[in-house]
Amino acid sequence: MDFGFTSEQKMLRNSFKEFFAKECTPDLVRELWSNQRGYSEQLWKKMAKLGWLGLIYDEQYGGSECSFIDLFILFEEMGKTVLPSPLFTSAVLSGLVIHENGSDAQKNSYLASIINGQKILTLALLNHAGELDFHSPDIEATVDNKGDHRLNGSRWLVPYANVADSILLCADVIGPHNGPTLYCIDAKAEGVSCTPIKTLCGMSNCLVELDNVRATPDEIIGDIGSGNVCIEKVMPKGIIMKCAEMVGGALRVLDSTVDYVKERRQFGRPLGAFQAVQHMCADLETLYMGMRLCAYQAASRLDLNMASDKEVAIAKARCSDTYKHMTWIAQQLFGGIGFTEEYHIQLYFKHAKECELLFGDSSYHRSKLADSMGL
Amino acid sequence: MRLIFTKVQDEFRSEVRQFIRDKLLNRDFKIQSKGIIADCNIEFSKEMGDRGWIGFTWPKTHWGQGRSYVEKTILNEELYKVQAPIGYHFLADRQVGPALIHFGSEWQKEHFLPRIAKAEKGVLFCLLFSEPDAGSDLAGVSTTARKEGDYYIINGQKVWSSEAHIADYGWLLAKTNFDEGISPHNACSEFMLDMHLPGVKVRPLINIAGEHSFNEVFMDNVRVHKDYLVGQENGGFKQIMAQVDYERAGIERLMQNYPVYDQLLDHMKIKQLHNKRAELYEWAKDQVAQLEVEFQTGRLLCYYTAWLIDQGQKPTSQAALCKVFCTQYEQRLNDVAMRILGPKSLIRNGGTGAPLDIDVASCYLWQPSYTLQGGSVEVLKNIVAVRGLRLPR
Repeated sequence: MDFGFTSEQKMLRNSFKEFFAKECTPDLVRELWSNQRGYSEQLWKKMAKLGWLGLIYDEQYGGSECSFIDLFILFEEMGKTVLPSPLFTSAVLSGLVIHENGSDAQKNSYLASIINGQKILTLALLNHAGELDFHSPDIEATVDNKGDHRLNGSRWLVPYANVADSILLCADVIGPHNGPTLYCIDAKAEGVSCTPIKTLCGMSNCLVELDNVRATPDEIIGDIGSGNVCIEKVMPKGIIMKCAEMVGGALRVLDSTVDYVKERRQFGRPLGAFQAVQHMCADLETLYMGMRLCAYQAASRLDLNMASDKEVAIAKARCSDTYKHMTWIAQQLFGGIGFTEEYHIQLYFKHAKECELLFGDSSYHRSKLADSMGL
Repeated sequence: MRLIFTKVQDEFRSEVRQFIRDKLLNRDFKIQSKGIIADCNIEFSKEMGDRGWIGFTWPKTHWGQGRSYVEKTILNEELYKVQAPIGYHFLADRQVGPALIHFGSEWQKEHFLPRIAKAEKGVLFCLLFSEPDAGSDLAGVSTTARKEGDYYIINGQKVWSSEAHIADYGWLLAKTNFDEGISPHNACSEFMLDMHLPGVKVRPLINIAGEHSFNEVFMDNVRVHKDYLVGQENGGFKQIMAQVDYERAGIERLMQNYPVYDQLLDHMKIKQLHNKRAELYEWAKDQVAQLEVEFQTGRLLCYYTAWLIDQGQKPTSQAALCKVFCTQYEQRLNDVAMRILGPKSLIRNGGTGAPLDIDVASCYLWQPSYTLQGGSVEVLKNIVAVRGLRLPR
């Protein structure tokens, strides 16, 4: 059991921290949430140049072969500012899907351009019911007489599909060779339409509709019928990176709130001198410490390629409930000012709700956990 | 950051488990969830002492083993899983030892530490801190210790003293400075009180579970030799504050009812509730998974607190929040267990028809004490807020 960080990790954290503190203000987040691109190209280029899009990947693709914990630290620091960017969907989810499942040719063609930031990829997971359906995807793929595949169906709330170069998705192949199959299709291909949808956090989540979209066999990642396995394999890491972002957000909620109640005075005293307020702050600290350790525990196991289903479920269940609960406490303590658009704490209130519902909320993960306990 | 046990730690855990199998599980031993103080069994404590498992974290120079608090947490986790009878040495090991090492005289160390570490007869300790009018506000004790030559004359009343009726010594906090205007924080001293001295009277208090676990202790002109004063005269309150971190940090706060959880899980699997009452089962599964999330969270908080102590840090706020979290988990556990088990869980003492071996009804009755003893949840939250988050007083 080692709850400490190496000096390299501390240095890495500092460089992330300085960058985000300088480059990502609440004003920028608000602006990015209100424009359709939903991310800052300038920051994206800077992050690519710093090598942060390829932190965990092999050097041969331009990566820097850092550990999964290092990536966790990056997301923790980024989460503090709730910076919206395709980092998660492109460099983590899509990158891992290709890294774990792609052929050498596919890795060469996609990974390097994900890592240098030239290309943005996204992973489209949700069906019309808002469910993760990669085991039996609600997109049909038929094979025509030339051997090309034709895809029909829709994906909901696909992050950054509007700016993506390629979209990864699972479709159900109909025919003698059948089953869920993973494709990496050109986002600009004929028959792909992409409509940004306004959600709680901005408008970079899109409805992607596929109308007889052609995919060639070399756009298939892995084998026909194994698409669900390809995605399943990377889900734990994806979920824990989302948790890292939540842990970062939660720390900012804690710090901001504690700072605020020290400053704000009523009845001639700082709010933080009232015991009712102190106890709410103590709750914030307790909630934060617990969620952070749960997330780091799962990350530690993933980092060492250990079995981690149980720990991942615990982490996402705990982070989902706790981060949201913390933002509720914060909204109460900030009072009226926290309910205004101009004040930053509301960004976290929204972010926590979004994070809770992505990749399964606490009920979903409790059910997974119960399964892993043999119940 | 690597929240995985090392090979050495895993091996140590296996060693403890083997010991428990040999000494407890293969014998006629009935587990019984109780308050913080487990059953006393001096023979069992001696076995632990022989293995160096009492005084485990004390320095080697002080009859200890110099092992880490993380390892100590592993040891306690395994012992609490089976509710091992560690009551004879538990308090002396956790609190008296470290306090003597920090503040005790050479004579006190030499006299008590080796005897505690070997679980010899005559070193069962209880705490004499709380009073009828000094509970959360511990500095407000009114028991007096007035110096007379080489002796202190003790007068007053203590309460909630677990095991005082069988203890050999009481770890006593009493007022020694009677100057007007002196802060109560600088007016108290710590003593080791021989419970067999003339003038000490112990009266049982029966708790709502119907058990005699704690007591009132009356002291009427009890003469305590000055050799039994621990540390600085009038420095007692500060010394106690340094000790309570150890008291609060332990995994025992999470695991007093572990058998309830363990047996509840077995019950759900073996009785195949899912075949009988599908709706209840879905609800029960969700509730139990939530308990598991909380248990694992609490467990990590305990290990983190232990690790902080191993790093030489003062874990005051962390230990406080850890105890807040863990004791609240334990309260929920018994409530949820009884709701899943239904009306038959009301049957006391494992009577006919009781759903589990363990007396879950009694466990439920013990639970109000968890969030009170060793600092109430409210006092602990004050500590987190004021000392941890530095909010204004």
